[in-house]
Amino acid sequence: MNSDKDIVFIDDLNVKFGKKRVVKNVSLSVKPGEIIGVFGISGAGKTTMIRVLTCQINKKHWTGNVKITGISPEKKKNHPKILSKIGYVPQLEELNLYYDFKPVANIDTFASTYGVPVKKAKKIAENLFTILDIPEDTWKKKLAKMSGGEKKRVSMALGLIHQPDILFLDEPTTGVDAYKRYSILSYLKKLNRELGTTMFIISHDMECSLVCDKAAIMRNGELLEFGKPVDLIASLPSNGTIATFTIEGISKKKIELIKEFKPVVNIIRAGNDVIEILIDNYEKNISKLIEFMLEKKIKINEMSRETATFRRYFQIRVQREEEKERTK
Amino acid sequence: MMKKKEGKEKKKAIQKHKASFFRFLKQIKKEFKLLWTDKFNILLALVLPPAIILLIAFTATASSEINPVDCIVISYDSNSFINPNNLTESFEANYTLPYVQAVNQSIYLNPIEPESLFYNASEEIYAMDKARDYLKAGIISIIIVLPIDFSEMLFLGMPGMIECIVDGSNMLKIQDNLNAVLDSVKIFTSENNLTPQFVFQEIEVLSIPSNFNSAFNSIVVFILPLFSFGLAMVLTILVVVKEKPIARLLLTPVQRFEILLSKYVTYSTILSIQTALIIGTSLFQGLYCVGNLLDLFIAMFMLGFTGVGLGLFVSCFSKTKTEANQFFFMFFIVIIVLSGLFIPIDAMPLYLRIFAWILPLSHANPMIMGILTKGNSVFGFDFYWLVGIGTFLFISSFIIFQRKQYEA
Ligand SMILES: Nc1ncnc2c1ncn2[C@@H]1O[C@H](COP(=O)(O)OP(=O)(O)O)[C@@H](O)[C@H]1O
Ligand SMILES: [Mg+2]
Repeated sequence: MNSDKDIVFIDDLNVKFGKKRVVKNVSLSVKPGEIIGVFGISGAGKTTMIRVLTCQINKKHWTGNVKITGISPEKKKNHPKILSKIGYVPQLEELNLYYDFKPVANIDTFASTYGVPVKKAKKIAENLFTILDIPEDTWKKKLAKMSGGEKKRVSMALGLIHQPDILFLDEPTTGVDAYKRYSILSYLKKLNRELGTTMFIISHDMECSLVCDKAAIMRNGELLEFGKPVDLIASLPSNGTIATFTIEGISKKKIELIKEFKPVVNIIRAGNDVIEILIDNYEKNISKLIEFMLEKKIKINEMSRETATFRRYFQIRVQREEEKERTK
Repeated sequence: MMKKKEGKEKKKAIQKHKASFFRFLKQIKKEFKLLWTDKFNILLALVLPPAIILLIAFTATASSEINPVDCIVISYDSNSFINPNNLTESFEANYTLPYVQAVNQSIYLNPIEPESLFYNASEEIYAMDKARDYLKAGIISIIIVLPIDFSEMLFLGMPGMIECIVDGSNMLKIQDNLNAVLDSVKIFTSENNLTPQFVFQEIEVLSIPSNFNSAFNSIVVFILPLFSFGLAMVLTILVVVKEKPIARLLLTPVQRFEILLSKYVTYSTILSIQTALIIGTSLFQGLYCVGNLLDLFIAMFMLGFTGVGLGLFVSCFSKTKTEANQFFFMFFIVIIVLSGLFIPIDAMPLYLRIFAWILPLSHANPMIMGILTKGNSVFGFDFYWLVGIGTFLFISSFIIFQRKQYEA
């Protein structure tokens, strides 16, 4: 692998806290300007991996070859260099913002830590606030008096105040309602387009995949997959085509019956009289599946064909891993 | 070639220090801004101390409108003496009556039972017991005792002696009572032409002169150390725990020591202003200071600095605000109780005495009193001990802060 062109390069990263292995054999590399989504349920090790990249974990806890903008966080003396090239937006705004200050004072406080002169910081902030639609009258409000969404956007602006090469965001959409979730994501995309910043978005919320160039899926500290979301979905049987049936009275017995049909790979979801099935070679097998179901006296009210969303993909991928573990 | 490289490295190092200094200054700016957003703290730090001193001055003067001290004079004076040359007894002089007249003249003293004027103990053998009962009952505040050789000594041109038994239940009034007696002595000496042999000198190193307000002075001396130390601690105890964005600051090139040092600088600055205000207001209200004012300033600053150190130290190792507040309460109570301000340290059991001796506030009173009343220099053992405590807390707080876990 050529680690020079990669803005982030991780080779065989392992993190251990005491006896507990929190990140296991993770390798990945990122090109400048990409948006990377890091997905996984709570406790998967996402934050820990990012904490290695952001110089927050002592070298005694981790092994592996890690380079951020070509510099390794292994040595403490490299930390200021790395930290000046990356931005971080923590999950909780209260860890990022001085609530008693107005945005300008927050900007001043953080910009100064990077040695950005006041005037320049002001210019950068104005640009960021424009991109993020933070209106001028909001600039004069104390953070404490702002809404959640406004705080989040100021927090994002702070992460970018020193024009970093990479921005890390920990759970930027967690605890935010659906409408705002989309707006945060579109702002991130906008920032990425206009500033060219590489981004790492940690999330257990699959909607973030909408803006990601690549998705990393983690489970129990392992990196299960790393690739473009569409490619990942397409790697499923039948390119991720899913058959959805509405059936009267779904029961365990009926589900077991359907599973007996050989080409069925996975029952993704069953409930509310709806069952979603992933089968091998959809075009060839779908009519046979319907025949099979009728034979077994399962009454189909409706059926439709859908392409798996990233959320479904994640679910299938994790289910497969769980089954693998069970059969072991 | 080598030289060029060296020069480059030197330049780099200078630039690094410059950047660090810039960040440090900006951190100080941030600290002041944070302080400014908390108006109550500013009130506490800079307005409350002078205000309380003014209040004390006000109440102290109100109560020291001449309020004669009730007293009894008991004379053991023999009125006669034996001439050492020829061993004959003579009655050459009697100074008891002139002294009692002086007591009557003094506006500061109020002898009760004016018809008998004084008790002659040689006639009334229970005089002292009776007087003590009066003292206990609070009818009088002082018993003035003329000893057996009172007249004899004065006649021979030697210093006369008066003994005083003062009501000790109100410490703040002891000085006033003694000053009142002093007034009678002044009148006595000038009326009886005793001044030449009675060079009357107030013992300044031990007491507050009568033309200064002694009530104000004794309260202020008591309260100055509490202000410096207590307020410094109150202001700093939450400064580290409550600043959550430190977690995020640590993800910038800013160094931990820059953050903590900026807090020390900020709160030491506030402390200096506060100390100057306290001393200024006290002087304005008639603080009696024999020593150097700069010494007083340094003493109070150092005391306050140990407060800043302890506050930041607790703030660094506390995990939550509640925890910090609990520690504050605990430390403060222990330090106050063992300060010697309330319970004399000499009256404590040995182990407590050692413990009290280690704590900062027990060194405050000797140091400040020494400067105020004896004109001592600040640079004595107590000061160096405080410097030691301050340095210890300063270094410990940095070590703890360096190791503090932050997760952003
Ligand atoms: N400093 C630490 N010491 C011990 N265990 C830790 C530490 N940090 C994280 N862990 C453990 O590592 C696992 C992964 O945590 P984390 O990376 O925060 O997961 P995620 O961000 O995916 O929810 C969790 O089980 C957590 O308890
Ligand atoms: Mg996490």
